[in-house]
Amino acid sequence: MNTVINEQDGKYIVSLEGELDTAHALEVEEAMKPLHEVSGKDITIDCSHLDYIASSGLRILLGLLKSAKANGNKVVLKSLNDEIKDVFKMTGFIDLFDIE
Amino acid sequence: MNKSRNTSRRVGTKASIAILITAAALMLLISGIQQINSRNQIRQDLERTAEMELVIKARDVSSSLEDVKLALRNHVWEFEQFLPYPDSLFAITRRIVEQNPNFGGCCIAMVPNYYPEKGRLFEPYTFRRGELIETVQLASEEHDYSMNPAFILSAENDSSFWSEPYHDEEDPRVTLITYTFPIYNDCGDLAAIVGIDLITEWISELMNANHMFPSSYNMLLSGEGNLISGPEDKPMDVEQVMMLINDTTIERTTTVSGNVTLFSFVDWEDHSKGSVFYYVPKSLSPWLIAVVNYDDEVFEPLMEMRWRNLLLTLAGLLILAFIIHRSAKNISKLQQANLEREHIESELNIARIIQMEMLPKGDEINIRDDCNIFGSLVPAKMVGGDLYDYFIRDEKLFFCIGDVSGKGIPAALVMSVTHTLFCSVSAHESNPARIMQALNETACQRNEQNMFVTMFIGVLDLPTGRLRYCNAGHDQPFIIGKETKQLDAKPHLPLGVMDNMIYTTQETVLQAGESLFLYTDGLTEAMNESHEQFGMKRVEKGLQDCNKNEAVVSKELIQILTNRVNGFVDGAEQSDDLTLLAIQYTPQAKPLILCETLTLINKVSEITKLNAFVKSATTALNMENELANRIKLAVEEAVTNIIDYAYPVDIEGTINVTIEADKGNIRFILTDSGAEFDPTGVSKADTTLTVDERPIGGLGVFLVRNLMDSINYERSNGKNVLRLEKKLL
Repeated sequence: MNTVINEQDGKYIVSLEGELDTAHALEVEEAMKPLHEVSGKDITIDCSHLDYIASSGLRILLGLLKSAKANGNKVVLKSLNDEIKDVFKMTGFIDLFDIE
Repeated sequence: MNKSRNTSRRVGTKASIAILITAAALMLLISGIQQINSRNQIRQDLERTAEMELVIKARDVSSSLEDVKLALRNHVWEFEQFLPYPDSLFAITRRIVEQNPNFGGCCIAMVPNYYPEKGRLFEPYTFRRGELIETVQLASEEHDYSMNPAFILSAENDSSFWSEPYHDEEDPRVTLITYTFPIYNDCGDLAAIVGIDLITEWISELMNANHMFPSSYNMLLSGEGNLISGPEDKPMDVEQVMMLINDTTIERTTTVSGNVTLFSFVDWEDHSKGSVFYYVPKSLSPWLIAVVNYDDEVFEPLMEMRWRNLLLTLAGLLILAFIIHRSAKNISKLQQANLEREHIESELNIARIIQMEMLPKGDEINIRDDCNIFGSLVPAKMVGGDLYDYFIRDEKLFFCIGDVSGKGIPAALVMSVTHTLFCSVSAHESNPARIMQALNETACQRNEQNMFVTMFIGVLDLPTGRLRYCNAGHDQPFIIGKETKQLDAKPHLPLGVMDNMIYTTQETVLQAGESLFLYTDGLTEAMNESHEQFGMKRVEKGLQDCNKNEAVVSKELIQILTNRVNGFVDGAEQSDDLTLLAIQYTPQAKPLILCETLTLINKVSEITKLNAFVKSATTALNMENELANRIKLAVEEAVTNIIDYAYPVDIEGTINVTIEADKGNIRFILTDSGAEFDPTGVSKADTTLTVDERPIGGLGVFLVRNLMDSINYERSNGKNVLRLEKKLL
């Protein structure tokens, strides 16, 4: 599981690669922690290489969304695969995030 | 409501008035006909009475006159004796007048020249002058009696006869008639004519001694139509009637017998109407006797009757009006009550439909191969206080049967509440005692009517056949297997009796093919016409008979029992609600094509191992990627849950993951020895909340439920056993 954060055009781009299962959740959460602090910059999470996400992964995304919203930032999810999109639909997360 | 009430009242008033008018018209018509009939009747009666009156008067008069004749005859021999002594004749006439107060005078007119010594004419005569009686020799050449028609007639006919009436010369008010009869001498030659002047006053008195009506009067007329006697006080009336009788142009009829002639007249003076009856009696011929009556007296009873009838009619109408008014009121009340009853009935009907629809149909359950179930509820009234329900949640069959004390609407209301509560509590609670506890707490609250409910709740774990149950004062169900016996179910107290009652769960394991039979006391207490109860023995016998054949499915079992009890009751009125429920447990053993177990410890890092284990199984089963990923996610979520919550922090515990697959299903059996936790009782995550409202976490069990076809939790032998199952086809 890889988590890469880039700053580009005044936005943060987070690339998630691999399977975000419970075993890897803590690691991803740690990697994303800095993003909770920033303000004035929107965050795009690129999921084109994310194969799998468990509820622990969803918790991380929800946590990020909450703090970004509190800071006035947007969180955009990009390139979700169909299975992950299904999970998002199932859990209602699809309505919480901007999905591209 | 009000509108219809007013309308019906108006209709009622209209109807009442119509009835009153009709009744009044009928009564008037009837009394009119009655009047006519009565008038005819009175007229007929009058004719009869008048006829009788006339006959009686005629008889009275003629018999009185006979008396006069008889009296005279007694003097005839005296005259004959003393014929040779003309002067003695004076004394005889005087004696005759003296002896008969009704005689106004008596004369003996000798045949002319009978006594040559007395001249041609000789007529000794005695007459009354007021109180005095005078005797004179009346005859003179001026008073030549021989020229008198009476004398001539008597002389020529040799017979007696009555003269026409005439007025006394001295006192014109006195009317007289003269009776003349011949006297013969020894040689048989006519010697004289004796005349008696009869004062008619006594005849009048006789005639009018009594009357048919106060104003009625009777008259006696001579053959020439002159008045012999009549009432003294009505000279004008008498004159009119006399004239009318003598007037042949007057229209007249005869009575039914034909003897009496009658005609109507209008009085000249006072214009009152009257009728005259007259006839000529043989005994008095040619005299005519008449009776005069006045209509106002004749028909007086009729007039009285008319007034009385009118008063009675009025009173009758008043009473009728009152009765109609009251009945209209009552009818309108009755209609109102009917309307309301119909309304209530239709509402009850709807309530019945609602109540019946609350009962499960079993269609969804009976397509399963591991159990079948059938229930029947027949309320004694429109709605009932019995209930049963069943449903499957997380591979557990929840069922209950209950009986609310009493019947009808109050029982139905309590039943409805209990039923609803059972559903809502069992949605997150699988322990029958705890469900019972929750129901009891609600039942005890605000239970001022002291309604109580006997209830049996069971939860059958379908994968294992483990049956947990709790009984609250209900009849013990039967288990029908190799033998038929009652389930040992601790009775407890019914719901609603004691709010701090502790209910406990009991358990048993149902074997494949075994059935459970539940009922309410409407079965054992069903009565036939002779008040005999169906009884427990017949129930047991029925169940045993079912069991003798091959194990019957629940529907047949219920049908057989229903037929038996109906046959027993045989049409007697159902006294209590009748509810039957049968459940047959029929698990199917399927050969496994895969069975592997992995043991994990309670660390999140173990998830990687788990996912690899799951992946290998799904790959071995050639599962499609999408399905495999869903299953992987579900199992990961379930195991994560156990890792997070089963054991206290820092205490290591194990989690066994067994994967089983038969041809149709894949199953994951997760076992841990941690704290009891039933994930199936966790309420569903709300996926509609906004970002701010949404809690972090709480999605695990939700995802498990959504990704798998079924989940099932059992706590057994101090272990949590969670089964996740997914169809492969």
